[in-house]
Amino acid sequence: MRKWSPVEILVFLVALACIIPVALIFLTAFKPDSEIIQFNGFFPHEWTLTHFREVLGRPEEIPIFRWLFNSVFISSSVTLLVLTVDSMAAYALSRLNLRGGKWIFAIILATMMVPGQILLVPVYLILSKLHWLDTPWALIVPAGAGAFGVFLLHQFFKGIPRELEEAAMIDGCSSWEIYWRIMLPLSKPALATLAIFTFIGSWNSFTEPLVFLDSVENYTLPVGIALFQSSYANEYGLTLAASVICTLPIIVIFLLFHKHIIKGIATAGLKE
Amino acid sequence: MTRGRRRSAWNYLFLAPYLSIFLVFLVIPLLFGLWISFQEYELARKAGDVPQFIGLRNYNDALHDDYFWKALWVTTKFVIFSVPITIISALLISVGIESIRGKREQAYRVAIFLPTMITISVAGILWRWFYNSEFGVFNAILPVKVPWLLTPNWAMTSTIIMTLWWTVGGPVVILLAGLKQIPEAYYEAASIDGAVGWRKFFFVTLPLLRNVLLFVTVISVIGAWQIFGQPFIMTAGGPERGTLVLVLYIYAQAFNNFHMGYGAAMSWLLFLIIVVFSVIQFRVMRER
Repeated sequence: MRKWSPVEILVFLVALACIIPVALIFLTAFKPDSEIIQFNGFFPHEWTLTHFREVLGRPEEIPIFRWLFNSVFISSSVTLLVLTVDSMAAYALSRLNLRGGKWIFAIILATMMVPGQILLVPVYLILSKLHWLDTPWALIVPAGAGAFGVFLLHQFFKGIPRELEEAAMIDGCSSWEIYWRIMLPLSKPALATLAIFTFIGSWNSFTEPLVFLDSVENYTLPVGIALFQSSYANEYGLTLAASVICTLPIIVIFLLFHKHIIKGIATAGLKE
Repeated sequence: MTRGRRRSAWNYLFLAPYLSIFLVFLVIPLLFGLWISFQEYELARKAGDVPQFIGLRNYNDALHDDYFWKALWVTTKFVIFSVPITIISALLISVGIESIRGKREQAYRVAIFLPTMITISVAGILWRWFYNSEFGVFNAILPVKVPWLLTPNWAMTSTIIMTLWWTVGGPVVILLAGLKQIPEAYYEAASIDGAVGWRKFFFVTLPLLRNVLLFVTVISVIGAWQIFGQPFIMTAGGPERGTLVLVLYIYAQAFNNFHMGYGAAMSWLLFLIIVVFSVIQFRVMRER
């Protein structure tokens, strides 16, 4: 093994400081209450499943399976919606020479700077007029308005050589066929990056479900867990067991696709 | 000619699904929000209560509302401390990681980005437990007892520390990508001129990283002005409203008290502040 430079030791310590809190979610969820109240080291002396049994076994007060189902359903639907509408729009804007296309793209890009919180009140009122409040639609459809995916796919489509399309056009393919048979299959890496981003973003989103959902059984996991602090304020074991259920899927996705995710952030950041 | 035109009309159909969602849930809400901010818009109070146009009264109310000023001050404090701490830490971390080659580099990147993947309710509850003064982790480990969330100033400090942990990963990843773009030749040239260590950092790295740094800072400032989840979960705006940030106050007015018009007006004030701040940053950092 190579020797560690002083800089690397510092970086290592910072990395440790980032990981330990995350690890503590998982380790502490297996500690009995007595060990949580009296912190006695990172690892449980006595491993217990009590908190998981409790959090899974009280479906009337803590409908955690409903929350899990809601989270999975909403995040998957958002991902599907975003991939569909964003790829179609990005294809039209990058390839079809639409009249006014440049302007439309510029306007879409400009909205990336709009702070999301300012939309909360008006979107709430629009959703209430549509009778979508307290339904999954309130979280699914508005999530399709984001500009990030259109931008990301637009950049990617621009890099695909035009020869393929021209050949297909000579063969009499319509733009729909070109989109479906050429652009989408060639863009799998970009679509995968966007899918991962969208899924994680939707899964972790907090403010929107907090505001747009009302009934406990319609909550997503993050909002459900926030409810714990009012009902079970200092029962950290219970809360952390629920947190494990909420966090584990995302950590698994992150560890599987960290290259995609980190590269996606980096490119989005650099290209402005 | 006709064929071509017909085809191009069909092509607009590709845009239709996205643009309709974009219009209904982004463009229209933006303008609708401005319209609501000129109304007395009380939700679900009395049946038949119609919104009334009251001109700039909501804005005037905000400027005479002590809690609005308090929230503005608290949020400003958060932005002023949190953003520089986060960006400087991210810069140092990314330069540190950049100097490490090989497999461990990616491992560090993953580790530092990991907290960003935790949803705010989980992160907030976790840190509320760390900060708990009776059985929290910090007071169990540290030799001194600190009133982490119990006094206004400590609560603000604790929020900033937690935010650093939660958000530093994004800037680190972007800055690292920026560092990779600096050609090795620049460092070699600097070495030939006799520059070492810190001099290289100040005379090569920083100037060449300026645009990326500007981007990361602007994004962080926009994010920091909109802070909501951390105080919502950890402190509920307390103690003594020491962490009552603007979005928390807007949330309370709009969705607990149902003063939609007032909430919309304060949202627009926040929007204006963010726009002004972003423009100033671009001016200051571009010109130098």
